[in-house]
Amino acid sequence: MPRAATVLTALAAGALIVLVGLPVLFILLQAVFPEFARGSLAEPFSKIVILTENDRLMVQTRNTLLLAVSVMIGSLILGLPVGILRGLCNVPGARIWDVIFLVPFLIPPFIAAIAWMMLLQPRGYLQQLLGFHMGGFLFTFAGVAFVMTLNLFPLVYFAVSRAFEAVGGRFAAAARVHGAGPVRAFVLITLPLSIPAVAASLLIVFAMSIEEFGTPAALAARTGFEVLVTGIYTRLSDWPIDLSGAALGSIILMALVLAAFTLQNWIATRRSYISQTGKPADAEKAELGRWRWPVLVLFGLVAAIGVVIPLATIAVTSFMGTISGGLSLSNFDTRHYAPIFSTGSRAGQALMTSGWLAVLTAFATAAIGGVVAYIVVRGTGRGRAVMDGLSVLPNAIPAIVLAVGVILAWNSPFLPLTLYGTAAILLVAYIGILLPYPIRYAVARLRQISGSLDDAARVAGASQGATLRHITLPLMAPSLIAAMMLVFAIASRELVASIMLAPAGMRTVGTFVFAQFEQGSVQTGMAMSVIAIAITSSILLAVNLWLARQGGSAFSG
Amino acid sequence: MNRITELQPAAVDLGRVTKRFGAGAPAVDDVSLQIAPGELVTLLGPSGCGKTTTLRMIAGLEDPTEGRITIGEDEVTHLPAEKRDVTMVFQSYALFPHMNVRANVGYGLKVARTPRAELTDRVEEALALVGLEAFAERPVDALSGGQQQRVALARALVMKPRVILFDEPLSNLDAKLRHHVRAEIRALQKRLGLTAVYVTHDQEEALAISDRVVVMNSGRIEQQGTPRDLYARPVSHFVADFIGSANIVPGEYDGSDIVLGDARIPHTQEITQGPVGVMIRPEAVRPAAQGLAGKVVSISFLGPVNQVDFDTPAGRVTGNLPDDAMGGLRPGAKVALSFAPRGLHLLPPRAV
Ligand SMILES: Nc1ncnc2c1ncn2[C@@H]1O[C@H](COP(=O)(O)OP(=O)(O)OP(=O)(O)O)[C@@H](O)[C@H]1O
Ligand SMILES: [Mg+2]
Repeated sequence: MPRAATVLTALAAGALIVLVGLPVLFILLQAVFPEFARGSLAEPFSKIVILTENDRLMVQTRNTLLLAVSVMIGSLILGLPVGILRGLCNVPGARIWDVIFLVPFLIPPFIAAIAWMMLLQPRGYLQQLLGFHMGGFLFTFAGVAFVMTLNLFPLVYFAVSRAFEAVGGRFAAAARVHGAGPVRAFVLITLPLSIPAVAASLLIVFAMSIEEFGTPAALAARTGFEVLVTGIYTRLSDWPIDLSGAALGSIILMALVLAAFTLQNWIATRRSYISQTGKPADAEKAELGRWRWPVLVLFGLVAAIGVVIPLATIAVTSFMGTISGGLSLSNFDTRHYAPIFSTGSRAGQALMTSGWLAVLTAFATAAIGGVVAYIVVRGTGRGRAVMDGLSVLPNAIPAIVLAVGVILAWNSPFLPLTLYGTAAILLVAYIGILLPYPIRYAVARLRQISGSLDDAARVAGASQGATLRHITLPLMAPSLIAAMMLVFAIASRELVASIMLAPAGMRTVGTFVFAQFEQGSVQTGMAMSVIAIAITSSILLAVNLWLARQGGSAFSG
Repeated sequence: MNRITELQPAAVDLGRVTKRFGAGAPAVDDVSLQIAPGELVTLLGPSGCGKTTTLRMIAGLEDPTEGRITIGEDEVTHLPAEKRDVTMVFQSYALFPHMNVRANVGYGLKVARTPRAELTDRVEEALALVGLEAFAERPVDALSGGQQQRVALARALVMKPRVILFDEPLSNLDAKLRHHVRAEIRALQKRLGLTAVYVTHDQEEALAISDRVVVMNSGRIEQQGTPRDLYARPVSHFVADFIGSANIVPGEYDGSDIVLGDARIPHTQEITQGPVGVMIRPEAVRPAAQGLAGKVVSISFLGPVNQVDFDTPAGRVTGNLPDDAMGGLRPGAKVALSFAPRGLHLLPPRAV
């Protein structure tokens, strides 16, 4: 191995250790040594006993699990029927439904939560329109689960429809050739073969509901219903600050996510009968016949609840002069958009801050992720083994846990200098949180690029560096760019790490919207949301169009 | 002028080369091999025997654990691939998917900062050599497998390599095309005087194309020689079995005769007297007035010949007999078998 490769390996490993490893290490140490933040190793394990015996920690853990399981079940109820229909039958407008069900990913969940509040709370839009409200439902456990389900059920929809499309076409045809009727083929072949993919998607739903901060923070705060994530937040924001409690909560959170992630990974790699590359057979789909309209109504209903209502509520709210003015044309006003476009205003600054933070995060994660992926796929020997292990670490770390770790690590008395209290600390946290995307994209892409291309360049006289520049990088570029756009979209409205780490006086899009909703103008918050959703949607759309134009399977990230 | 036809082939010398990947048996074990300028040498052997690894060490893509490699006058043992005048044609062709045919072929010259005019000329010449002038501007994924293979060949030739390496270059082509392309490769190699090392696990391909064949087994060289040599005089059961098909039956040798069952067959060969393995090529088997007693077990018609299985006191013997040598043989018939001397060879007894 040439020197350059060794140096690169060391740099990438160093970045992973500083950005992800160090925060986790400090959480572990803080959990064990209550006085660790003051540089003392006194009374190890003392807090663990107290916290596990009589504390809200256990209640929060139970609530978290309950919530995650409820959201899983909810996502199954909402996503499974439409997913199966989409996968096995000729649903009219199938591609359009696919696009519609992508929309929930574009609405930050806490903004959707605020929208549902505006709609369902006492004197909300529902009451104004129909004369009754559903505040009693929304501000409960069920309400939180409901809103989170609406955000996550598309994961199940897409996994189910893809699995059933692939399995239904190929294997079911084989089963029917061997004499099984359509129902038996479904029960004996399609269903069992699709279960792994569906289970894997449910585990992602599970992990994402455990990590979700905005929705419980917005809704559950009013009910006293606490989950681990809000509990950790409270421990760090309310006096007296409880570092050890936050660290312990983080460890439980991490363990849960790690378990879900490991199981998901295991199912996806060992138990999946669905080839990743084979294109699903479009033939052999059942015709709906007279079920056409009922099915369309079902799709329309799911789309209305999951997409149209929240989006419309966000937009309507942003155009209301005053909330108390209610839903009437005379109350229509565009003035809440004005501050966002005036430079120097808080809203404008928040937009700028999130913009450049997201751009820097995108470039940094792509650079680190690209190198990590290169070593994982093309490396040799010990460097590769170490990197392989390190590279999965960020997957198991929820955003709030990384934020806690960053607080603990970068406030440590052992540090000669710290980024804490500067905007750079946000960058550090964002990179740590979003690294998994570029790593995953780049690893997948590199695995498709044959290593003999590198060899061919080498025997043609290119050095390792030239091979990287001429061959590997150009071939990886589309997937890296796709990952960067995704990172940009998520980072530009990140909430939890921003709330916990932003230096005094600094606002991001996420914290701005959140603050407006807590003690300002909900309309301005929603106007900002409209802008943010529009920007990220158009970026993602543009990238997808561009990738499609690049064409060919060779470039699909 | 700087034409491909004026390339300078070099000799290759592997001196006791070993390659280990981690613990366990070495992938290439103490291999010594000399290749003369302009010679085409084939590495032949079963999957996993170390052919590709040997080739990659010559290319500089793999670093030998022990031993030394020279190309021409230069020791290159630890020289990286880009510093050797060696090119390679890969099994998967390894064409750069984001470049068209011209850019693929010209890539090496571009890296070497060849002046533009010369680069254009050389690429044209290389494409002409493989008959692809008309395809220069095509993207490589708009070519058939055979055409992609030629692009890979042109990309290797354009560098005027002192040594060219082929790693199973035909295995992705269908059988018809394979015969055709291998003849073309051989013709081009002779015409340009290329020093070539060619890897295959197809013995027929090896025999057809090579000046010399090197049979490898478990990382070692089992035997090397001309195709005729190897076919007529294999040194071991492994080689006899791997090259062509062979009956190998146990017998005794007393210095002048082979004792096989109740038959004695005159034979002279330098080999330790006593128990031996007797290799009998199927085409050497003929019914005769006297010889090894045999009984016909089965007959299958293969087209040019009939494959006849005989039970003999020495064991099962298979013969390939053309129709006019069959003499009305039927299953169950008893005959004496004689063996043409060209298809008879003694091997050391099989190790127990
Ligand atoms: N990069 C590597 N790391 C570890 N082991 C390797 C590596 N490359 C080759 N080997 C091992 O070395 C041995 C020889 O491999 P090689 O590829 O040279 O075989 P081959 O003769 O080309 O086989 P085939 O006909 O299947 O291509 C095999 O056992 C293989 O598993
Ligand atoms: Mg090989």
